[in-house]
Amino acid sequence: MYIDRKKFLEMTAALAGSSLLTTTMPWFSVFNNPAPVGRSASDRVRIGVIGVGSRGRALLLNLKELEKSLNLEIAAVCDTYEPHYERAIELTDGEAEAFFDYREMIENVDLDGVVIATPLHEHAQPTIDCLHAGIDVFCEKAMARTLDGVKGMYDAYKESGKILLIGHQRLFNPIYLEAMERLERGDIGPITMLRAWWHRNTDWVFYRGTGGRGTELDRQRNWRFYDEYSAGMISELGSHHFQVANWVLGTQPLSVMGSGSINHFDDGREVYDNFALVFKYPEKIHFTYDCITSNKHNGMQVQVLGNDGTLELESNMQFEEFPADPPAIQDLIEDIQDGENDAIPIGGATWIPDAPIRLGGDYISPDYAMNDTLLYMEGFINFIRKGSAPEKLTTEGYHASIWTLLAEEATKTGKEVTLPDKYRI
Amino acid sequence: MQKSKEDFTDFISNRLIRTEKEDLKYYYQYMKNIYHNRFFAMGTRFHTLLPGMDDDTAERVFYLMKDEVLRIEKKLSRFIPESDISRLNKSAKEKPVIVDDELFDILNACRFCWDLTDGAFDLTLRPLMDFWKNQPQSNAENDEFAQLKKNLGLQHVNVDDDKKSVQFSNNQIEIDLGGFGKGYALEKISNLLKDASVESAFISFGESSVLAAGNHPAGNSWKIGMNDYLNPGKSIHEFRVSGGSVSTSSNFFVTDNGTLKNHRHVIDPESGKPIEQLRSVSVCSESPVLAEMLSTAFLILPDKKIEKVKEQYDNLEVISVDYESGEATVKTFDEHQTA
Repeated sequence: MYIDRKKFLEMTAALAGSSLLTTTMPWFSVFNNPAPVGRSASDRVRIGVIGVGSRGRALLLNLKELEKSLNLEIAAVCDTYEPHYERAIELTDGEAEAFFDYREMIENVDLDGVVIATPLHEHAQPTIDCLHAGIDVFCEKAMARTLDGVKGMYDAYKESGKILLIGHQRLFNPIYLEAMERLERGDIGPITMLRAWWHRNTDWVFYRGTGGRGTELDRQRNWRFYDEYSAGMISELGSHHFQVANWVLGTQPLSVMGSGSINHFDDGREVYDNFALVFKYPEKIHFTYDCITSNKHNGMQVQVLGNDGTLELESNMQFEEFPADPPAIQDLIEDIQDGENDAIPIGGATWIPDAPIRLGGDYISPDYAMNDTLLYMEGFINFIRKGSAPEKLTTEGYHASIWTLLAEEATKTGKEVTLPDKYRI
Repeated sequence: MQKSKEDFTDFISNRLIRTEKEDLKYYYQYMKNIYHNRFFAMGTRFHTLLPGMDDDTAERVFYLMKDEVLRIEKKLSRFIPESDISRLNKSAKEKPVIVDDELFDILNACRFCWDLTDGAFDLTLRPLMDFWKNQPQSNAENDEFAQLKKNLGLQHVNVDDDKKSVQFSNNQIEIDLGGFGKGYALEKISNLLKDASVESAFISFGESSVLAAGNHPAGNSWKIGMNDYLNPGKSIHEFRVSGGSVSTSSNFFVTDNGTLKNHRHVIDPESGKPIEQLRSVSVCSESPVLAEMLSTAFLILPDKKIEKVKEQYDNLEVISVDYESGEATVKTFDEHQTA
């Protein structure tokens, strides 16, 4: 199936009123019921971008694509790092006001929303400040470096009544929409296990020429390597898939166990180059996750294992467990069991399945033509206009971030970690 | 199929009082475990029976087979965008494409069969199939058809033996290994079963490609019946196979109500038109891939030419079935019968 904009809108329209669109993923209904877009300058949604590194740049470019159709304006940009600050000015053709300090930005520019793509440890404070200043926030995942940071962001969201969205872009992916539909319909039977992994062969150095691990410049640019700033691959990679697991199972874990080490890229980094986790979920379901940066053979995958089939969410494949038997095969088995050797009419024209969907290795959506980050930005702008967003979007982000940090704790303590009551929402 | 201790005690005590024939029957019932497993591949189903093996060993063999089939599909399928064939189809129109040894050998095997069958086995005709999908035969006059007719054919696929590269001489050529892949997979599996010292195995790949390794556990060859589509469940012919394969090609599907419908996927390279007569051909040979290629070619070739090809091989059995009259008319290409 080729999913273009038209097909996507047909999919979401067809699901209107279903439990999928009311409970599992209510945000998808915004595309069929967008907020009216006024054309005047006073109707313009004014956005600020805080942190214009690699991810911030991508988000900014997505926003620019929506400028005309959604009547939005990138009114301000902010980065503490001069080359990125300069680049942000260039990317907005000098039209956005530029700042080194986000506090000055929100004080001096009238903004409806901000997009935050700073390093992980610098998510919480700008988010909380913006929410309290009455500005809606889209913040990159994961939410914060500490459990208190995550809870602080959530509390500020509740207190301010403003919008807080976390950048798990799979939440806006049409393939995941269709996969969720299949899971809810029971296409692969009862779900009995989840497996996911992210394997790469890379030293994971984002910026070269910083003078190596431990220098001040390296701490600033390659912040993902430092315990103070990041949980490493657990927060930067794993959190995406922890969110997916919660979403697929419709609940958060009961506990997490795990272990991690640095066994190959031992260059002075403080975060693991490999780790493995087991999450326990209600209904006695387990979710196993592993991540490695020294071997890429397995790539990236989320497998949902059901008693009747398997969904591979990252490669958009569905596999069925049991093809139907050819009519003659049972006769042949009985014959063998009985020690008889009769001719069995088994040969002939090629059997083909009634519906192509029954095939193993069926693409859920082979020609996926939509950018989920762009859809998420479109959603964000619409929610700003409407004045609210589905709470589940925020809680999906919250639980993913909390369990990311609990998983980190599990690997560091070797204990089975559960959710402390004070972080329960 | 794990048997309890009681079962075995029962077996042994029964054994003492039964006649030899019954005894043998019980022996099979209790001792002949049959491992049965299946998966989807190449647009159809793959069924395996491995009799007389313990489940753990059989399972290992099964997954070796499955991995191999999926590897071949990933390499040869034109439906998978990153397959070697997709890559070749995309690039060989513009420049020579270097292919790996396996694909090079495959293309040479196809060329060999193309020569052997006077061009009847031609894997470049897919665009003509697409052309004829919903068209009346009278469209053979139009320009698009004339162009395709002129440009398609294996003679337009140029192979450089030294560089192991392939280039198409025009941009309409496309290679489609649909009439090759299942047989090739079974050829590989046949070798795999030998390597694994599997004595006896029965494999049905979408029913149109069947591999019977070794003998039937009850002794003697496997008896592979050909299903009569007008009397489903009845055999119109029976091949006796031990260590060999039966491949069937047909130009029809069977619809749910049992009527036969020409899918027009079979193109006569000489006329460029689909074969309209409802017909199927089955070839039995020791080599699964040869059976696969020849059954495809024999669907097109006239009987005289089929006989000519058949003469060149020992132990090649061929039947053609004509369904045109509303009942199955079987022709065996057996010297004694045709004489």
